Amino acid sequence: MTSRQFLIVVAAVQGVLLIALIILIILNRWVRLRRRAKVHPRRVALNAVMQRWTLGQAGAVDVLRALAHLPVPLAIDALVTWSARVAGERWQELSQALEHQWWTRVVRSNSRSGRWWKRLECARFLSVAATSRDIGRVLRLLRDHHPAVQIAAATTLERLASPVLVTAALDRLPFLGPTVQAYYASVLKRARPAVLRHLQQLFRRLDDPRLPRIVEFAGRLQEPVLREPFTTLATHPDREVRTQVARALGRFPHSESVAALAILVQDEAWPIRAQATRSLGMIADPASLPLVRDALRDTEWWVRLRAGLALTRFGAAGRNVLLEAEVGGHAEARDMARLILGLSPQALAEYAA
Amino acid sequence: MTHLVQATDLVILAYFLALNSFYALLLVLSIPEIWEQTRLAEDEDFQRLMQSDALPPITILVPAHNESATIETSVTAILTLEYRSFEVVVVNDGSKDDTLERLRHAFELYEVPRTYPEGIATRRVRAVYRSRSRTRLLVIDKENGGKADSLNAAINASRFPLVIAVDADTLIEPDALLRLTRPFLLSSRIAAVGGTVRVANGCTVRDGRVTDARVPRRFLPGVQVVEYLRAFLFGRLGWNRLGGSLVISGAFGLFRKEYLHAIGGYRVASVVEDLDLVVRLHRHLRQRRIAYEIPFIPDPVAWTEVPESGRILSRQRERWHRGLIAAMWLYKGMLFNPRYGPVGLIAMPFFTFGEALAPLIEVVGYVITFAGLALGQVNGAFALLFVLVAWGYGMLLSLWAVVLEEVSFRRYRRVGDLARLLLYATLENFGYRQRTVWWRLKAFFTVWKHRQVWGEMTRKGFEASV
Repeated sequence: MTSRQFLIVVAAVQGVLLIALIILIILNRWVRLRRRAKVHPRRVALNAVMQRWTLGQAGAVDVLRALAHLPVPLAIDALVTWSARVAGERWQELSQALEHQWWTRVVRSNSRSGRWWKRLECARFLSVAATSRDIGRVLRLLRDHHPAVQIAAATTLERLASPVLVTAALDRLPFLGPTVQAYYASVLKRARPAVLRHLQQLFRRLDDPRLPRIVEFAGRLQEPVLREPFTTLATHPDREVRTQVARALGRFPHSESVAALAILVQDEAWPIRAQATRSLGMIADPASLPLVRDALRDTEWWVRLRAGLALTRFGAAGRNVLLEAEVGGHAEARDMARLILGLSPQALAEYAA
Repeated sequence: MTHLVQATDLVILAYFLALNSFYALLLVLSIPEIWEQTRLAEDEDFQRLMQSDALPPITILVPAHNESATIETSVTAILTLEYRSFEVVVVNDGSKDDTLERLRHAFELYEVPRTYPEGIATRRVRAVYRSRSRTRLLVIDKENGGKADSLNAAINASRFPLVIAVDADTLIEPDALLRLTRPFLLSSRIAAVGGTVRVANGCTVRDGRVTDARVPRRFLPGVQVVEYLRAFLFGRLGWNRLGGSLVISGAFGLFRKEYLHAIGGYRVASVVEDLDLVVRLHRHLRQRRIAYEIPFIPDPVAWTEVPESGRILSRQRERWHRGLIAAMWLYKGMLFNPRYGPVGLIAMPFFTFGEALAPLIEVVGYVITFAGLALGQVNGAFALLFVLVAWGYGMLLSLWAVVLEEVSFRRYRRVGDLARLLLYATLENFGYRQRTVWWRLKAFFTVWKHRQVWGEMTRKGFEASV
């Protein structure tokens, strides 16, 4: 084949492809329009049936029939939307009725699919329609490697009260990305008794590498029974654990918390000192004022800033410390005091947030 | 002479084949990528997660220099984005117009003391302002130092772990921030994320929002719609599968702040600060063997006003290309260097030979072809066929971008807009492409002379495009 013939072939192929692409664009529009025209009335019908069912004017059978008429992803979308509007018991009835539908069996079987979007579909369905028989499936999905699947599976915990699932989710927590972790935490908060039991066990495993993340999560719960384990962790050798403890203790106004923070405020790592100072400000115990005054002379700017802000929470006594520092001999404390005293109440509130 | 023409022809043919094969690869790779991204974008649970308290807080950095016409609308639009926790840091970079006055009046600014350390050195900050009406807003007034310097000043003042640089003339879609954080939920290794930038010219804009996406009727902005689609939907998506692109648009990219601090922020001397930043980010993370990803996701959208006149467009393209050449030269040590993984072995060679040198090679191709024709060394019919194939391939790539847009996000709903997209995708190769080659070629002559830090552009302001 000569180079000219080669170019002619390439040009011909290009021409065919160009025409094919234009046809594809037009076909895509046409198919979408047709599909929309076909599905939209069914969606409207389902919404109407759902509305009647919530008012007790239609049976679950009607809902099941309307759902079966929709493509599976749209049926799941509708279930997710309506699950937020219908009371728990009534929704459970529907969940149980859905168990025997052919399409829900197919969706459930997707929990083992090799394709993540199929598993996601299953997890989304189970997040609103799981029954106690689905615990094994949800467990598998909680351990999935795809975060989207994990998130959908974690949402199941809102509806399915199961200590097994709570324990599994809590065990997964330290290995998740920070945001997914925060989402898990918000879901787990709702299953508080089971979570607390398991947390107290985890707190005893001092060498567990998951401990910093567990402590971070426990801090978010603000549960009084966890204060004692927190104070005992104030001297933990792991710096990250101490940081999380320093952050969490501010939410537990208690003399033991102040005692633990008195240790942490002298830590060699400045992020720990900064967190501890902030927490002392949150508790604002007058006995801890000298500690915060010392922190205003810290070598690290962030610790001094936290100390300055913390002092504003001690009322008149804290303000007096700032005023003294403003004319005092320590240059860095003086600068910080000037900065803090110059802030408007609004700016102070924003910094404290 | 005959040998020279033949040898050059061969080199250009080989270059053409290699480059277009690579484009074909990007094209193929963009298919699974857009499939996956569309699936995730539609996931309802992600929407729920993204509206929860779990989201990381973000600082939006808005550098402004002589943006009086658009600043109020842009900042208002940014302040009303759908996101739980964010702050906006606007930097007035020594504007000569009344940008600061407009901000002061619109947002009831009052001066506050500076409460942050200068992590990255910048030009002198004259004053810091907070707003009485919008607690999320912080305005920094500083001496003129260029866009990169302004961004560095904004990074210093930012409080949150993620920062996004947004041009003051860019309109961000209300849910764009939510969408842009999606990769941070999927992976803890994300160093930065890029979103799509689209052309706002011709669209209906109300209260700083694009309410009706249209393809402009005028050729020059219209053809840029196709260019942007091609660059974002097919180019950058394909790069996701090849180890990450070197470009995250300066108009719309989310970065992990700790890494920006580690590399010293934006480089003030750079002409195209966004490209420079991403290359340095890759270099830093690779050198320290930090596992990272810099993905592009197509569904978060920001709209920007593109030049409508050839004169301004030529300046913009010349500047972009100058920045590209300078960056490739500056970081030449990464080229073909296995230490930098796919960035050194794929991205840098592509951006050097396939992008930076492309106009030079294209012009040499035209010259040699004409010389060959004049000397009777090249067959006229063959040359014409070759040019047609080259242009046809360009059309194919542009149409592919339109296909990706149609099967995924379909922002342009009207048949008329679709027809215009197809028309511009077809006409782009006849005249426009050659003009851009000339503009980019000029960059080779100016690259060592100039140091321009703000891409000066006359703006109409968005209200004018309603």
